[in-house]
Amino acid sequence: MGQDGTSTDVVQVQDVTRSFGDLQAVAGVSLRIAPGETYGLLGPNGAGKTTTISMIAGLLEPDSGTVQLCGEPMGPRHTKIRSRLGLVPQDLALYPDLKGRENLNYFGALQNLRGKELRARVDEVLEVVGLADRAKDPVKEYSGGMKRRLNIAAGLLHRPALLILDEPTVGVDPQSRNAILESVEALSGEGMAVLYTTHYMEEAERLCDRIGIIDSGRVQAEGTRDELIHLVGELDQVRMDGTGDLTAATDALQQVPGVQRVDPVGGGLVCAVADAPVHLAAIVTAASAHLELSDVEITRPDLEQVFLHLTGKELRD
Amino acid sequence: MRAAWAVALVELRRFLRDRSNIFFTFVFPLMLVVVIGAQFGGGAGSGRVVLTDESSTLGQRIAAELDARDVTVDVGEAGQARETLARGRADAAVFIDDAAAAAFDAGDPVQLDLVLASTSGSSAVAQQVQSAVAELDREQAGVAALVQSGVDPDLAQDAWWDGEGQVPPARVDVVDVDDVSQAFAGVTGFDVGASSQVLLFVFLTALAGSATLIDARRHRVIARTLAAPVSAGSVVAGQALGRWVIAFFQGTYVMAGTSLLFGVQWGNVALCLLVVAVFSTVAAGAAMAIGAVLDNEGAASGLGVGLALVLAALGGCMVPQELFPSSLQFVASLTPHGWGYRAFAEIQRHGGTLVDIAGSLAVLAGFAAAVLALGSLLLRRSIARAL
Ligand SMILES: Nc1ncnc2c1ncn2[C@@H]1O[C@H](COP(=O)(O)OP(=O)(O)OP(=O)(O)O)[C@@H](O)[C@H]1O
Ligand SMILES: [Mg+2]
Repeated sequence: MGQDGTSTDVVQVQDVTRSFGDLQAVAGVSLRIAPGETYGLLGPNGAGKTTTISMIAGLLEPDSGTVQLCGEPMGPRHTKIRSRLGLVPQDLALYPDLKGRENLNYFGALQNLRGKELRARVDEVLEVVGLADRAKDPVKEYSGGMKRRLNIAAGLLHRPALLILDEPTVGVDPQSRNAILESVEALSGEGMAVLYTTHYMEEAERLCDRIGIIDSGRVQAEGTRDELIHLVGELDQVRMDGTGDLTAATDALQQVPGVQRVDPVGGGLVCAVADAPVHLAAIVTAASAHLELSDVEITRPDLEQVFLHLTGKELRD
Repeated sequence: MRAAWAVALVELRRFLRDRSNIFFTFVFPLMLVVVIGAQFGGGAGSGRVVLTDESSTLGQRIAAELDARDVTVDVGEAGQARETLARGRADAAVFIDDAAAAAFDAGDPVQLDLVLASTSGSSAVAQQVQSAVAELDREQAGVAALVQSGVDPDLAQDAWWDGEGQVPPARVDVVDVDDVSQAFAGVTGFDVGASSQVLLFVFLTALAGSATLIDARRHRVIARTLAAPVSAGSVVAGQALGRWVIAFFQGTYVMAGTSLLFGVQWGNVALCLLVVAVFSTVAAGAAMAIGAVLDNEGAASGLGVGLALVLAALGGCMVPQELFPSSLQFVASLTPHGWGYRAFAEIQRHGGTLVDIAGSLAVLAGFAAAVLALGSLLLRRSIARAL
C-alpha cells in the first residue's frame, strides 16, 4: 500500500522543493498516501507543512519535484483534477457575512454540484460536522470551533479522494476538537485518503496510520507511530508505587524478561521495559512479591521524544 | 463559466447582505436627485445676486433684467459683496466697475466678472445672470444698429425700450442666444440631475464594493476557490461579472426610480441602458483594480468614494459640463463620466440616436477595455501574491 508506492496511491509527492527568496521553506519532501490511509505531517511552526500542502493542492508551483493526484499531474495549471481534492486550509477560508449553508452552497457550486444533489450533500456534511441546527446563522456569529468545523465541511462536499486538513484543530475547545477528530476518523473509515498536518502529537498518534516528522522543510523520519518510536529506541516506563522491600523488589524485577533497568523514584520504582503491555503481568507479579502496590502506571515514549531526538528541538515552542 | 457565475452570485449576495450598501444604493441616490434637481429646477423665484453698482446705466439695466427673472438683487460695494458670498447669503455677485459702466454707456464691449457662491442654487443663478447679460448685449447691438442707420442715439434707445415693453423679456428656459440655456433647452433640472446621478452612483457603488474583494482575499476564500476545479481566469471573470451586475443594477435603479418618482424623461431607454452597461464595465474594472491593489477595506472605501466623487465632479456630474470653462471641458473629456454625460445629454435632450452617441460610446468602450484589463491583471497578480 502506501509504503511500497503502488499505483493505487491517491497522492504521490516526489521530492518537491520550494523557496521564498533566500528561505528554503520545503527542501525536498516525498510522500505517498493510499486510499483509506491517514497520513500525518507533524512538525513545529514554520516547518514547511502549509507550503508542502499548497504544492500538493496545486496552489503553489514547486521549484522542483512532482505531485500526482490519482495518477494525474497536479499544479496551478491543472484545474480539472482538483475535483478529487478537498482542501481545508489552516486559515478559516469562509465568508463571515454569509450563512453557514450559503458558504457551503458556494463551495459546492464550485465543485459543479447543483440542485438536489447540492442540497443533499450540504445537509449531509452539516450533519457530519454537527452544524445542521446552525446552518441558517451567519458565520460571523459562530464560535471559533464552529467556524473550524464549517471550514472542514466545505472541503468534504464533493467526496474528494484526498482530504487535506491543515491544522484543523487550532484554537478549538476540547469538545469541538473531539468532534473534528471523530469526523476525520469516520471519513478515513469510508476510504478517503487524509493528509493531516498538526503540531499536536496526540492528534497525530490518535488519527494517523503513518506519520512524517517534518522540520526545516524536510521529512526527518516517516513510519507508523511504533516504527518511529522504535527508531529512537525509547523504552516504556512502568512506575509502581507501594510499600515494602524496595531492594528485593528491584532485584526481582531485574530478572523479569524485557526489563532493562529499574530505578527507585519517590515512594516506588520505575522499570524501563521494551514492550510494557506484553510484560506487565510478569512485572506486577514480581513486584507484588515484595511490595504492597498502591498504584501502577505505564508511560510509553511519545512522538514528542522522537521529535526531540530527531531534531534536538521541542515540538511546541 | 459556471464557476464564474457562482463567484459573481456570491459577490452579489454579499453586497446585498450589507445594510449600509442598501441605503447607499437604494435611498441615497434618489435623495441626491431631489437636491440636485432643486438646484437646476424651475428657476423662478429663486436666487439672490449682489451687484456692486446700481447707479450706472449698466447696473440699473442688469438689476432690471435680473428682477424680471425673479432674482432678488442686492447692492453693495465689492468687499461687501465678497463677504456676502462667502457667508452664503447670496448665490452670485456681479462686479461692475466704473470702466465697465463707461464702456456700456459708450456702446463698447463690456466685460463683467461673475463670482459664484458655493450655495446649492448658484449654478442656476449663474444661468440667470448670463441670460440677463445676453439680453443687454442684444439690446446694445440693436441700439447700435439703429444709431448706425442714422437714428439719434437717445431716440434709438427709447425706440428699443418701446419695442421691449411689448415683448416680455426672455426667460432662461426659452432664451436662444446663449450656449448654456440652449444646451439645457427642453429639460427640467431633474433630468439633468438624474443622468448625472446615474453616472455618479454607478461608480460610487461599484468602487465601494471593492471592499468585498479585499475581504474575500483576506479571508483566503479566493485561495480556497482556486483549490476547487476553477481556473484563475474564471475567478477573475466572476469577480468582474459580479461587480458589473452591481454597477449596472445601480444605474438602472436610478433610472427607474427617477422616472417613476420625478417623471424624469430618459428619451430612448434602450440607448440609455447601453450607455449604463458600457459605463458599468469601466466601474467594474476600476473596482477590481482597487480591490486587488489595496489590502485594507477602509482605505479602499475611502479611495473608492473619493475617486468616484472627483471623477463625477470633473466629468460634469455635479456642475453641468456646459457651465465649465473650456479648459475644464477638456479635463472632463479625460474622465469616463465626461463621455457618459455627453452620451446622456445627446439622448435625453436632443433625441440622439445610436449614431449620435457612437463617438461617446466608443470612447467609453475604450475606457472599459483598458480599465477592465488593468483590473483583471492586478487581480490575477494579487491572487498569486495571496498564495
Ligand atoms: N508566501 C510566503 N512568502 C515568504 N515566506 C513564506 C511564505 N509562506 C511561507 N513562508 C515561510 O516558509 C516557512 C514555512 O512556512 P509554512 O507556512 O509552510 O510552515 P508551517 O509548517 O505550515 O507552519 P505553521 O505550523 O506555523 O503553520 C516559514 O519560514 C515561512 O515564514
Ligand atoms: Mg501552516
